[in-house]
Amino acid sequence: MKKSVFLSKLQEELEFETELTETTSIKDLEEWDSMGAMVLIGFVSDEFGIMLNAEDIKSITTINSLIERIGLDKFI
Amino acid sequence: MGAILKAIEYVYPKQKITNSDLSVQFPDYDFSKFEEKVGIKNRYWVQDGETALDLAIEACEKLFNKIDKSSIDFILYCTQSPEYFLPTTACILQNKLELKKNVGALDFNLGCSGFAYGVGLAKALIKSGQAKNVLLVTAETYSKYLHPNDRSNRAIFGDAAAATLISFSEEEQIGDFIFGTDGSGYDKLIVKNGCSRFPFDANANEIIYGTNNVFTDNHLYMNGPEVFNFTNEVIPDFTKEVLAKNNISIENVDQFVFHQANAFMLHFMRKRLKVDKEKFYIDLEDGGNTVSCTIPIALKNYSQKHVFENQKVVIVGFGVGLSWSGGLIEINNKL
Repeated sequence: MKKSVFLSKLQEELEFETELTETTSIKDLEEWDSMGAMVLIGFVSDEFGIMLNAEDIKSITTINSLIERIGLDKFI
Repeated sequence: MGAILKAIEYVYPKQKITNSDLSVQFPDYDFSKFEEKVGIKNRYWVQDGETALDLAIEACEKLFNKIDKSSIDFILYCTQSPEYFLPTTACILQNKLELKKNVGALDFNLGCSGFAYGVGLAKALIKSGQAKNVLLVTAETYSKYLHPNDRSNRAIFGDAAAATLISFSEEEQIGDFIFGTDGSGYDKLIVKNGCSRFPFDANANEIIYGTNNVFTDNHLYMNGPEVFNFTNEVIPDFTKEVLAKNNISIENVDQFVFHQANAFMLHFMRKRLKVDKEKFYIDLEDGGNTVSCTIPIALKNYSQKHVFENQKVVIVGFGVGLSWSGGLIEINNKL
């Protein structure tokens, strides 16, 4: 998946008003909450077949770190 | 010979709390997004002085408009909101309902897995010849455990009681039930203080969690993301075990009725199990997550809204404990 597509799909799924970039610290956004975490887990599972666990959610900082967790090989 | 689930009645408390009511208290939060994702529009909470037993009595009396209460010979009462530490709330219920004295009565302490457990236990009591008409009651008032500023949990949990009659039947209508437990997750959903391990602490510190949610150890705490993960990791495979145990394929199940925890999570599990939308019950708009009451409420509403014969329904409950249970029931009439 193209990183730009990933960013816009994720933003749409989360229904965030803030535009997401690779360096956005997603959990620092005011819009982030546990429902966002739930939506993120669902999105990543649907798109990549990867289940993020609670530890993953804790350790994710920027969108880039999320992309690394999913696997750089999944992106072009 | 076997058992049959004959009738269900349920009640909510009178006090209705809508999302707009909540947004008055939490003006900074966008409840429209919550409503869309989690699927809850309103919930009902008891008022001061009103208890889960009060709701249970009301639900049972509603049931007794349809069935002969003198036939009941066993009460299974599922709650985490008992009247007292002791005695057993089911004993008080026997008296309040003026049931005969030669009945068995016990409480069992389970949350969202409680109803499916209860059906499995009722079937076992009937099949072993120990009872013929089991009154299974689930009654819960989590609202009493919620911190006033715990926005997340106040939005999710509602109070309710449901009364279900499970009876002896010449033909078996209740399939096999199986169970699961992982006590290592005991603190993922917990009211820590006020029981034996930790006394109620009048000076308990306020703790902030998630996004500006507040609780103290005297209140209910739920680690939402971890409970969500547990559910998604365990319940789809467990559901497949329920199907295998009952020798039935997904295609031959008429309806899946899972514990109505949260619409987003239910959709997510439905997709993982590859079940069609029409066959997977999701409706918690009115009432919210009522813990052990969501499955009987869903079964009742489902049977009222559809015309059908001999429906094969898989029920699965999961949550606090951590605990889960599920099985197959056949329903051939409106409950």
